[in-house]
Amino acid sequence: MEAKDQKKHRKKNSGPKAAKKKKRHLQDLQLGDEEDARKRNPKAFAVQSAVRMARSFHRTQDLKTKKHHIPVVDRTPLEPPPIVVVVMGPPKVGKSTLIQCLIRNFTRQKLTEIRGPVTIVSGKKRRLTIIECGCDINMMIDLAKVADLVLMLIDASFGFEMETFEFLNICQVHGFPKIMGVLTHLDSFKHNKQLKKTKKRLKHRFWTEVYPGAKLFYLSGMVHGEYQNQEIHNLGRFITVMKFRPLTWQTSHPYILADRMEDLTNPEDIRTNIKCDRKVSLYGYLRGAHLKNKSQIHMPGVGDFAVSDISFLPDPCALPEQQKKRCLNEKEKLVYAPLSGVGGVLYDKDAVYVDLGGSHGFQDEVGPTHELVQSLISTHSTIDAKMASSRVTLFSDSKPLGSEDIDNQGLMMPKEEKQMDLNTGRMRRKAIFGDEDESGDSDDEEEDEMSEDDGLENGSSDEEAEEEENAEMTDQYMAVKGIKRRKLELEEDSEMDLPAFADSDDDLERSSAEEGEAEEADESSEEEDCTAGEKGISGSKAAGEGSKAGLSPANCQSDRVNLEKSLLMKKAALPTFDSGHCTAEEVFASEDESEESSSLSAEEEDSENEEAIRKKLSKPSQVSSGQKLGPQNFIDETSDIENLLKEEEDYKEENNDSKETSGALKWKEDLSRKAAEAFLRQQQAAPNLRKLIYGTVTEDNEEEDDDTREELGGLFRVNQPDRECKHKADSLDCSRFLVEAPHDWDLEEVMNSIRDCFVTGKWEEDKDAAKVLAEDEELYGDFEDLETGDVHKGKSGPNTQNEDIEKEVKEEIDPDEEESAKKKHLDKKRKLKEMFDAEYDEGESTYFDDLKGEMQKQAQLNRAEFEDQDDEARVQYEGFRPGMYVRVEIENVPCEFVQNFDPHYPIILGGLGNSEGNVGYVQMRLKKHRWYKKILKSRDPIIFSVGWRRFQTIPLYYIEDHNGRQRLLKYTPQHMHCGAAFWGPITPQGTGFLAIQSVSGIMLKITQLIQSKFPFAFNLPTSFSGMFNSALEVAKFEGAVIRTVSGIRGQIKKALRAPEGAFRASFEDKLLMSDIVFMRTWYPVSIPAFYNPVTSLLKPVGEKDTWSGMRTTGQLRLAHGVRLKANKDSLYKVLVAQSLTLSPKL
Amino acid sequence: MATQAHSLSYAGCNFLRQRLVLSTLSGRPVKIRKIRAREDNPGLRDFEASFIRLLDKITNGSRIEINQTGTTLYYQPGLLYGGSVEHDCSVLRGIGYYLESLLCLAPFVKHPLKIVLRGVTNDQVDPSVDVLKATALPLLKQFGIDGESFELKIVRRGMPPGGGGEVVFSCPVRKVLKPIQLTDPGKIKRIRGMAYSVRVSPQMANRIVDSARSILNKFIPDIYIYTDHMKGVNSGKSPGFGLSLVAETTSGTFLSAELASNPQGQGAAVLPEDLGRNCARLLLEEIYRGGCVDSTNQSLALLLMTLGQQDVSKVLLGPLSPYTIEFLRHLKSFFQIMFKIETKPCGEELKGGDKVLMTCVGIGFSNLSKTLK
Repeated sequence: MEAKDQKKHRKKNSGPKAAKKKKRHLQDLQLGDEEDARKRNPKAFAVQSAVRMARSFHRTQDLKTKKHHIPVVDRTPLEPPPIVVVVMGPPKVGKSTLIQCLIRNFTRQKLTEIRGPVTIVSGKKRRLTIIECGCDINMMIDLAKVADLVLMLIDASFGFEMETFEFLNICQVHGFPKIMGVLTHLDSFKHNKQLKKTKKRLKHRFWTEVYPGAKLFYLSGMVHGEYQNQEIHNLGRFITVMKFRPLTWQTSHPYILADRMEDLTNPEDIRTNIKCDRKVSLYGYLRGAHLKNKSQIHMPGVGDFAVSDISFLPDPCALPEQQKKRCLNEKEKLVYAPLSGVGGVLYDKDAVYVDLGGSHGFQDEVGPTHELVQSLISTHSTIDAKMASSRVTLFSDSKPLGSEDIDNQGLMMPKEEKQMDLNTGRMRRKAIFGDEDESGDSDDEEEDEMSEDDGLENGSSDEEAEEEENAEMTDQYMAVKGIKRRKLELEEDSEMDLPAFADSDDDLERSSAEEGEAEEADESSEEEDCTAGEKGISGSKAAGEGSKAGLSPANCQSDRVNLEKSLLMKKAALPTFDSGHCTAEEVFASEDESEESSSLSAEEEDSENEEAIRKKLSKPSQVSSGQKLGPQNFIDETSDIENLLKEEEDYKEENNDSKETSGALKWKEDLSRKAAEAFLRQQQAAPNLRKLIYGTVTEDNEEEDDDTREELGGLFRVNQPDRECKHKADSLDCSRFLVEAPHDWDLEEVMNSIRDCFVTGKWEEDKDAAKVLAEDEELYGDFEDLETGDVHKGKSGPNTQNEDIEKEVKEEIDPDEEESAKKKHLDKKRKLKEMFDAEYDEGESTYFDDLKGEMQKQAQLNRAEFEDQDDEARVQYEGFRPGMYVRVEIENVPCEFVQNFDPHYPIILGGLGNSEGNVGYVQMRLKKHRWYKKILKSRDPIIFSVGWRRFQTIPLYYIEDHNGRQRLLKYTPQHMHCGAAFWGPITPQGTGFLAIQSVSGIMLKITQLIQSKFPFAFNLPTSFSGMFNSALEVAKFEGAVIRTVSGIRGQIKKALRAPEGAFRASFEDKLLMSDIVFMRTWYPVSIPAFYNPVTSLLKPVGEKDTWSGMRTTGQLRLAHGVRLKANKDSLYKVLVAQSLTLSPKL
Repeated sequence: MATQAHSLSYAGCNFLRQRLVLSTLSGRPVKIRKIRAREDNPGLRDFEASFIRLLDKITNGSRIEINQTGTTLYYQPGLLYGGSVEHDCSVLRGIGYYLESLLCLAPFVKHPLKIVLRGVTNDQVDPSVDVLKATALPLLKQFGIDGESFELKIVRRGMPPGGGGEVVFSCPVRKVLKPIQLTDPGKIKRIRGMAYSVRVSPQMANRIVDSARSILNKFIPDIYIYTDHMKGVNSGKSPGFGLSLVAETTSGTFLSAELASNPQGQGAAVLPEDLGRNCARLLLEEIYRGGCVDSTNQSLALLLMTLGQQDVSKVLLGPLSPYTIEFLRHLKSFFQIMFKIETKPCGEELKGGDKVLMTCVGIGFSNLSKTLK
């Protein structure tokens, strides 16, 4: 048996081994190498025909150039968004099973019910968003527009179904995404041969549709209701490594395939009017191009909207951080599908969503509503309390007035209440920033906690100290305690206010301040004149000084203590300061405190403060609190505190210190400081300029100033004199930039200030002509004139020799010199090589190469420009970049969208370019699809899918005559392109489109879109007899072309006197009396302005594919049983052949 | 509905041109209210009405509504159409007033624009046609708007108050613009100029040239100032003279300055020598400001950068003029675009004042009116 099993050795007939053997064999035979055939038999390889050679060369060049594409700038982001994989196929073909299997393959998790898109991490650099596409044509159209890859499932036991082809045809017009076929139900074949045949047949049919060689996957059978692991794994591998070609529409428009939707409408509004327009937030990865805030978007199936707000969120399904390993570990295999209830804890701008498992259905909308109710319940304070804690600023740089200020002016309000209000910082914020009310109570607390945590991190030592202090001072004066408590509050307040300011303030400013943070760290306290952090400090300084004013001169120590206190306060305000927010409140708070402290008796306060601070100071330095300190000690302590504080405070402290001690501005003499200031001014200039430009927006503020106007006697209004800005609004519109303070150009130094702007001035190092010339001299100084044979040397012979010798000597002495010489030599070599390259390679670089190089350079620049900036600033400049996970808020969404929300249907937010949101007359070139049996009629409503949109409109078909005139057609031609014009959204040229008769119908026609705006015309036949009524009419048509039915052409010449309306005409041939003469006249046709977006997503669940719009006249007639009144003359009559009666022969 | 694109609202007549131009390009309707509402003579002036008429001529389907007093203007833009147009500009403002806006719009029309503008070619308020020809046209060329048909021709000169000048401007159509990186202004290699005089002694121009040269010669020897004395019908209806100077750098940027005599019957007579000297000083002032684009064309450069593909464009400018600052704000409200603004201090080099580096990513604008054939 064994002998039988062994295979006989087979000789290799091909491969390297065989080739080697063959070669050896030939050598043995003395026949030489095969490679030498050219040498052996040169005649066989000689040029036989120059023409043929030219042709073959031509051909190869043609093939080469065919491969060229117009180079485009590569704008793909560094971290691309997940790839959209659309799983498409007819019903019962195994789409859901395949998705489940794929998810299980990639994440080892099993999703029981899949609704909406599922995002998974499939590899180190790739994520996938898998979405199922049903058989609704609306869904197919929408998904074809966003798909990167289509897995086209085909039931092999049945063969192709119409859905497959419909989808393929949709894909063809909307940019062809990658398409991969997957054959399922292969286990139903009994015979292997039949299976093979079917596979082959299907494969070839698939190839004709997609492209020859398109990948078709076979899923051979099911195991326990799932596909075989190995096959799914292979399919997954294919998807993971697949490369994609950018599609024009997708790369030029931003779009989001939303994977989550929340209703943000005020529940009260819904309660009062259940049909009120909703405010929703949609979440998803941004794809395609950059999306800007406030831009226009279109939601297919819903309508056009303006983005009311957009923000980016942390990536819920992020790629792994480090890429060192070959494969992902289990932790990194994430899956995110909020619509299916997978995703765990979701952080949002104003809420945290915790997934509560299977019961967390989307439709019941527990999340936001519940939170809002919670927030309502937990609102303890009355409106009075809010009023008390609210503050108003009368002047831009004054401190805000609180209710207590008003109290002092005579308004009665219990003081205790005020205190209590101030204790609850959250309430205050709510009142001030009304927009924060919306956010739930729970997250407020969360925020508070977080900010407290921050506080602990930032100034833990400080707080500790204070806590201890509080514990010690329980039996001390209440007033002091009040101060301390206030201080703590202050800390909390300022920190808690931070997020609120993030909303209200210019985000950019903050980010810019953050950029500058590093520099701030080692700069003086004078650095930021504009930021409020500085104000806070100055405020605290003022506080220190204010208290100083009330001190007895002997108490200079306690003065210092005060200073320390203010410094500590400053520290408390530090987190805010770091983030660069203009917290006017903070200033106010510190001032407030100073006021309060000054209201106390100076001595008491001082002593208390002194003690308190001393305790604080003594803590780190381990000195007992009761110890009396001399000035020297004090400095020590200061330094100890400094150790605790950050470096930047160091500086400030010193400043203040010196200021306090010397009183004079001694520190200003510090040169390094001056330099630092100069540097800072430069740093500050840019944000200032930006703030100057973008900070204040001069929008129309009429309403506001109407309110401020006084009324006199209820009838007249005081006409206040124009303010400056108003004056500016009506000033001269001129682009010239007049010189306000001209320089005196006769002065020498003024003239010198622009010396270097001229070629006669000093040049940069690398461009200085003298230097460049010198270098060239060095390089090209020696040359040999080939014609004369003279050898020119850069320098005269003996000299150079001498120099050479000298050099050698020098080299021996000086190793540095040697190195420099080496460098010089290398430089020389490099330059020579460059020269050579330039000379010989230039011919090679074609226009194409140049263009490609240019694009590459641009792409590099695009990447590099904003790379170093943080996302907050970046989104301001370039918009939200693709790959970000964003949250988009949209207002005025029809309530049906929320009520009839079906997660199975894709929600797409398609960004619109400028004026793509406008509607106008659009022209396109189209052709009836070969599978549509009928032809199309002008003025029959039809559904188009153009760009992101699907809409119904009334097209008019036309054909262009040779003279450019567009002649109306009643019906489209059978197999030819024709034009169509309709009223619809303006779309970029060259966009593909398709049209369907109804949403459940078949596709009709496909081609390019061309636009223009022209009147149309069609012909109006008129008969010869009685063509005109008067001579005047004839005069108007003089020279017009007329023709007979048989095609004899003529021209109207002149009117005749009688009969009225008769005219003389000339023809190219003789007419018969029986000829009918036509004149074609033209009449402009107006296009009905009918544009009706298909709002299929607003239909109830389960009926989304039943949208119906305007019906055609034919359908209406059929429905109502109205028959067309036929013209009697047009009816076909039975032709009765008259018997021919011949006249009798004579 | 799509037609009700969110419109923008402004008050006051200032910056009317930028608002209307940006509205046309972005397709967003704009409403301008309180146009000189508090003045004795409220409403739009003749020259503004003329500008609106011009816009109407080069667009198709625009809707313009002005209330009875002329204090409120609603403008819903149509598509830019272009073609051959003739327009009689108001003599209250120079042709430059109209031409500046046309330069912004012309590359994006449907049919190449060929427009004849009649009115005041040179005045003291607006940038003159000479300056625009010397500075704006090369700037547009940087963005890829170039070709045989790209020209600005001065057929007749007209000075205020009579006018009577005529220029022909033709511009090819582009679908997309190229991004630019103008960060090196280079060094000034030559100064050219045009001293013109109409209906005055031809000697005036020569006197201007001499005085201007006397100042500029201290900096660079390569100066040539052409004299242009127009006669007969080409000289317009009013007398006057003036000088425009342009400094060209090694990297192809143009800085300009100009001065014109007082209009007939207004103000004191100006000596040509003074005018020449002052104009030369203005040029030096402009050089002191510096940048790759001169101060009148800053907004044009920024607009075309905005309308580029989604690529990074950079330009180095001198100090931003108030007009430009307002323009940047308008760009933000119409196109949601923000520029990255970096101040480049002058440093040690003797190259005039501080410069500003403006960086932006284009919005990916494409000419929707251009037909595909």
